Order: sequence, then structure tokens, then C-alpha cells
Amino acid sequence: MLSIHARQVLAKAILPLLILLAVGLVLLGLVRRPAVDGVRLMATDFMAPAYHGLVWPQERAMVWLTDLRGATDLAKENSRLRDENRALRHWYDVAVALAAENGRLKNSLHWIPQTVPQYVTGRVTRDDGGPYSRAVLLDVGSGHQVRIGDVALDAAGLLGRVTEVGPHTVRVLMINDDASRIPVTLASSHGDAIMAGDDTAAPRLIFYPQDHHPVEGERVETRGQSTMPAGLPVGTVHYSAPNRPVVVPDADLDRLDIVRVFDYGDDDSQAPDAPGRVRVKKLPQNPLTGPLPFSWLPNLPDMPGRGGQ
Amino acid sequence: MVAENSTPHLHSAVEPKQTFRRALDMSIRAAMPSLFIMFSAILLSAPFGIPGQAQLQFGIAMCTVWFWAHSRPRSMPALAVFLCGLVVEIFSFGPPGTVLLSLLVIYGVAHHWRYGLSRLGFLMGWLIFSIFAIIASFFQWALVCLHAVALLSPAPGLFQAALTIGIYPSLTALFVWGRRTFANPDQA
Repeated sequence: MLSIHARQVLAKAILPLLILLAVGLVLLGLVRRPAVDGVRLMATDFMAPAYHGLVWPQERAMVWLTDLRGATDLAKENSRLRDENRALRHWYDVAVALAAENGRLKNSLHWIPQTVPQYVTGRVTRDDGGPYSRAVLLDVGSGHQVRIGDVALDAAGLLGRVTEVGPHTVRVLMINDDASRIPVTLASSHGDAIMAGDDTAAPRLIFYPQDHHPVEGERVETRGQSTMPAGLPVGTVHYSAPNRPVVVPDADLDRLDIVRVFDYGDDDSQAPDAPGRVRVKKLPQNPLTGPLPFSWLPNLPDMPGRGGQ
Repeated sequence: MVAENSTPHLHSAVEPKQTFRRALDMSIRAAMPSLFIMFSAILLSAPFGIPGQAQLQFGIAMCTVWFWAHSRPRSMPALAVFLCGLVVEIFSFGPPGTVLLSLLVIYGVAHHWRYGLSRLGFLMGWLIFSIFAIIASFFQWALVCLHAVALLSPAPGLFQAALTIGIYPSLTALFVWGRRTFANPDQA
């Protein structure tokens, strides 16, 4: 047993010691953030079934509320659905016709078909942002092949990119996070820009050409770069203030449920040599070993590099 | 306000016999504040979609540590604060270590000033707590900026501080009731 004096000393020393440990954790977080996030991801993996259990009553209540709301106004809902169905049938016919035309055109152009990306579907385990970031954790099950940098989409459009991968869970950094920078193409003005998240609902557009300003309402798609393929729908341009274009995302970033994570593979395409550029051949260290052919001339050395001998 | 000793009406000569069940009951009652922090941290990390969930995690932990550190330090020792801070750190994704450090600092302040705070009254205690909640939120914001190498908007930090200050009175009411009843080891 410790003496009373020793216990008093220990009681006084424990708080400074714990504060030192906390400072150590802060420094570790600044230097080796992935190590700390790995531990957090493991804890989330462990808690994933409990999270499902916790939100289950809320999900059921939402389903009942939706059913109740639908049941109170059945006639109006039926009429709205009939109209929507009619419009969807029209768009289905248009889509089938366009797909056939697209196929014919690709055939005549000898279009090289792109590889079909692998994807995995997961449910959002928890909103993982905190006050200063926008991220979600997805439960993708065991044995997944998700890698860092894979692209996450919901039913409507681009959601973000995978930043951490755990055994069952992956973390997706959303497009409106402050650290997110995604190269995009503007569909109508054909300009390129960078979509930069700023922790608000609508990420900003920056670095667009000054002679091609983004047009209000035009579509924004991804530009093919790195693991991000070209042409993924992102959203539409909106001017929140003069000279401040933002992207209104297609994806519903506030209410995420089912998310798909696509693996488009690495961009290992190598650009060919620039036309007209001649590759410079490196000269060997000792290009000529034998005697020069014009050694009969007076005052010339027999071998190169032997001048002045 | 300071309740380091047993409740006055219970004289040692008439205290109930110490059994295993009573010892267990007493330790659970004493651990109630720490369990409250851990349970709320885990619960608030679930995807309920409630606005300000992450900020509430921080706010509840700060309020609980502040109240129990000056009100009944036996129920909130430094090691328990450290463990609670670690649990909050694990179940949140903020800059690592900031919540833990803030909790330990606010524990140190409340524990050191507990006699003075008990004389000051609720409003003055709330005001001092508010100052430390703002400092802790500012510290967290500064670390995020340092990590991102950019000047981020301080609005989320201000919201967190406001939420922490705002929930303090209602949590204090709960804790004052708990200190007399379910979190009172002398009632075991």
C-alpha cells in the first residue's frame, strides 16, 4: 500500500500527466492522422450492427409516416403518379431511341467500348463529418474490393471519393467538404473548372476560364482525370452572388441512405510522344575507339581526346 | 454545493452494512456521470440525422465534466475524464486529441476552483463555463485550420460553443436531481 504522502503526490501528478498524454494525441493527430482515423474506423466497424439497431425504430417511423401521408390523400397521389408514369413512358421511348442511335453511331465510328466498372453498394452507417468536415461512413460488408480514391455516387449523381478503407466500412469524403477539389467540365460552355467544397450545401466553382464564364443552369460533369472518369453527373451551375458560381449537387447530400462505390481502375494511359519531336540519342562516353579516318593530315592526333599530347 | 463528504443526516454509526451488492451499487452510482458521457457519445454517433449531433457530443461531455468536477469530484476523477475523452475521440471524427485536452483542462479548472465556484452561484458559474467553452471551441477551430493549412470559417465552432453554453442549464437541472438520487453513492 502507498503512504498518504505518496498518494497525495500521485493525485497531484496524474492530471498534468494525462494532459501531456492528450497533447501527445493532438501531435499524433497532426503528424499521423491516418493512424488515428484507422482506430476510429475500427470502432465504427465494431459498432455497425448496433447503429442499424439504433436507427431501425426511426426508419420504421419514417416509413409509417410516409404511408400515413400517402393514405390521407390517395386520389391526388394516384393522379400525380399517373401523370408521372405517362411522362416517364415518353422519356423511356426517347431513351430507347437515343440508345439505338448512339449504338449505330458508335458502330460506324469503330468506338472502343469502355470497361464496365466494378461497384459495390452500401448503406450509410453514420454521418461522420463533425463540425468542420463533410464525410459519411458506408457499410460495404466484408470481402469488398474498395480502394482509396474510388468514386461514390447516389441515385442522382456524384457524392464524393473514398478516403479511408476498413474491413467492413469505408469513409467517403463528400464533394462539399472543405478538402474536396474535383476537376469538372461545364457541359454548355465547354470550359473546365475545379469544384471546391467549402462546407456549405453548394460547392464553389474556381479556376474557370475568364473568357468562358459558367452559364447559369448549365450541367456540370466530371472531367476524366486520375481514377475519376469523365461524364459523371455532378449538378448544375447557380450564381449565389455576382461572380460567385456554385454547383447545386444532383446528389442529395443531406439525406443519404444507399450509396454505390465504383472502381474505375487506375488511369494508366500513357500519352504518346509529341509529334515532330525527335528523341535525343545519348552519345556514348567514348564514341570513337579506332583511329580517325583522316589521320594522314598533319598535326592531328590519332585518337580523339588525345590532343595536346 | 461541494459534496465531498457523506450526506450529513447519515451518521457513520447507523450506516448500512457494507455488502458486495451495496459496493456494486455505490460504484455504479459513482460512475454514472462517466457512463452518461460514454453512452451519449456512442448514441450521438449513430446516423439519426439530427442537426448538430457532433457538436452535442462535445457539449454534453464538457457540461458533465464541468458540473461533476466541481460538484462531486469523487464521481469524476481525472482518470475517468481521460477515459471519457478517449471514448468521445473514438466516436467522433474531429481533429484528434482536442476534445480530450479540452475536457482535461476544464476538469482541472473546475476541480481547482471548486470551493470558489460553490460560493459563486449558478449564473456566475455558467458565465465562467461559457468562457471556457468558447476557448475550447476556438482551440479546436485553430487546430483544424492548422491541419488544413487554410483559414476555415469559424461559424461551426461558434455554433458548437453556443450549443454547449445553451444546453448547460438543462443538463445542470438533470445533474442536480441525479446528485440527490440515482447518482448519489450515499443512497445505495
